[in-house]
Amino acid sequence: MKRFGPLSVAVAAAAAIGLPFLLKPFGVYLISMWAVLTIAAIGLNLTLGYAGQVSMAQGAFVGIGAYTVALLTAAGWPFFPAFILGGALCFVIGWLLGYPALRVQHHYLAFVTLAFNTLVFLVLRNEEWLTRGSYGIAGTDRPSLFGLSTDNARVFYFLCLAILILLSAATWWMLRSPWGRAFVALRENPIRALSLGLDTRRYTLMAFALGSTLGGLAGGLYAPLVQFIEPGSFSLNLSFNLLLMVIVGGSGRFFGPFVGALIAVLLPEWMRVAEGYYLIIYAMLVMVLMVFCPSGVIGLFEKAMKPKKPPAAPAAAAIKAEATPQ
Amino acid sequence: MLRTGFLVSLVAASIGLAGTAHAQQKTVYMPAILELSGAGAVSGTNFRDGMLMAIDEINKAGGILGHKIETPVLDTQSDAGTSRAQLQKVLDNNPYVVFGPVFSGSVLVTQLMTMKAEIPEIVGGEAAAITQKNASYVFRTSFGQQFSMPKIANYIHDSIKAKSVAVVWVNNDFGKGGRDNFTKEMKDRGINVAADISTEVGQADFSADVVKLKGANADAVFVYLNEEESARFLKEAKKQGIKAPLIGETTLLGQKVIDLAGGAAEGVQGHVGLTVDAPIKAVQDFAAKFKARYNYVCDHNGIKGYTGVYFVKYVTEKIGKFDGKAFAEKAHGITITPQEEPGILMEAKWDKNGDIDRESFLGEVVDGKQKIVKTLPMLSKK
Repeated sequence: MKRFGPLSVAVAAAAAIGLPFLLKPFGVYLISMWAVLTIAAIGLNLTLGYAGQVSMAQGAFVGIGAYTVALLTAAGWPFFPAFILGGALCFVIGWLLGYPALRVQHHYLAFVTLAFNTLVFLVLRNEEWLTRGSYGIAGTDRPSLFGLSTDNARVFYFLCLAILILLSAATWWMLRSPWGRAFVALRENPIRALSLGLDTRRYTLMAFALGSTLGGLAGGLYAPLVQFIEPGSFSLNLSFNLLLMVIVGGSGRFFGPFVGALIAVLLPEWMRVAEGYYLIIYAMLVMVLMVFCPSGVIGLFEKAMKPKKPPAAPAAAAIKAEATPQ
Repeated sequence: MLRTGFLVSLVAASIGLAGTAHAQQKTVYMPAILELSGAGAVSGTNFRDGMLMAIDEINKAGGILGHKIETPVLDTQSDAGTSRAQLQKVLDNNPYVVFGPVFSGSVLVTQLMTMKAEIPEIVGGEAAAITQKNASYVFRTSFGQQFSMPKIANYIHDSIKAKSVAVVWVNNDFGKGGRDNFTKEMKDRGINVAADISTEVGQADFSADVVKLKGANADAVFVYLNEEESARFLKEAKKQGIKAPLIGETTLLGQKVIDLAGGAAEGVQGHVGLTVDAPIKAVQDFAAKFKARYNYVCDHNGIKGYTGVYFVKYVTEKIGKFDGKAFAEKAHGITITPQEEPGILMEAKWDKNGDIDRESFLGEVVDGKQKIVKTLPMLSKK
């Protein structure tokens, strides 16, 4: 946060507020999608980047949140109670998914969460009585806020942006609280954290639950944004894409998901000028980025902005030269 | 600071600023959003190639109402969410009509937007639900499942004389729609569905499914899968010695499936909505032109793309202007014959919902080729 300074944040905030007035509806749709996916990626960054718990199930939580909102609003519920219920449901399910993490770690945990994602996909597809199965759910209405309809693309974007800012601020506050430090301790050395009296069991479960909640809230916005959801939208592909956003942006860095989501949403669109080759070029760019900058784009900026070591003073250089054997 | 500013300007430029107007001098903007990557790439590529061939022919002959057709092709990645985004992109430029998508799930999300924008959408999707949602701007280029399944059901009842049938289907919106319509038609005809086997998109191993089929001992097997999966299924069915007739609807008898399955496709029978092997000279001439241009045999999606463009040309020339609303009004209930518009290849009629009616065929695979054995009349001419 310190490295990027309030000025950079102010510029980014001005861009986020001003851009929709310069963009056509397609551009507004893309930045709305960016805001929604950033929320989900912040959740995964919390679980993976800060607490070090590998999760391949974030796409499933987006799906649970999206289906909760789509089904409840279709049944006549107002948007916001459905939205909050979607997040709460993901908190409970995320907490339960955290139990395997108490027993297995790393790639074993990755496979547990991957299996959970597949399980959610199968439930969404096969339990037709509840989810309408392969046909999906079309036409989820956009909410009204204090009598103001968000049907307009720009208004809906500002709703997504407001929720993103609110959740980001809450996450930022939490990361600077003892909870945030406990998450990092859990990632860096769980045995030492335990020996210092940290309840690692509780914090592991909490890391999953909070990360999943953000996934569910993102899903709650995804349904009225796209206005069509189907099980295939929340398969492993989405989980991999969210993982890509966290890693490419900078895992364990607060602004990583913001930049990662920007790249994952916009880069394929930029590459479309290459027509049939655009997905190949996109994949190659991501590979190059990961090879040369494993700490993600934010890591690259941090490296570039790090003050360079001042050259050795003449006296120190002379002492060093004298000490060197001839 | 400078870096941030540069990033912001790059982002803004990349997603298109509001001021960039679309040049439309003596051209008419008719974009296509198609499945060029992902699970639908075979279908989307065929549709695109047929469509572009028709556009080149029309442009060479002077265009529509003196306007050349301008058709950028955007990839949906076979994903409904991406389709929605790409449709929004083209709607920003005020198109006259939109071609595609082919995947039914993508059509279901885009048709709500085209209806709102009053832009006709010429689609390749076959799910029954597409034209049952009062989307008055969507027009099919092939039969919906609610029309093709009664034909295949009649064939199983009258020609195969089956008393029981097993159905193998792909569990997505396309396969589920087909399966639901098919089982309803079977029930109406008193035919017992002895096995109802769902399979996955991209499934590689069908051995367990074929074992189940053998256990069901049905008089016929109806196979409703995508191209690659159809070929894999046929190979496994041959390996395990399935004796019951294998019946399909268009895809199973397509040249792509025959090429991939090799000898395992031999003897497959079924109903074919559109085929380049149709005993119609115009269709065969089209197939030869397509093969010469692209060096592969066109499937039914290529015909959809080609005839879809000529459908737009005919209706537009009838209304004499580029007006989406007038187009939709004129196109509902229109009949186009090859005498009036040779590019339509076969006489076709669109009803008030945008569903198409035309002749179709019964076929079987003989010596690695699809052979048409019977032509079925248009439903409206029975």
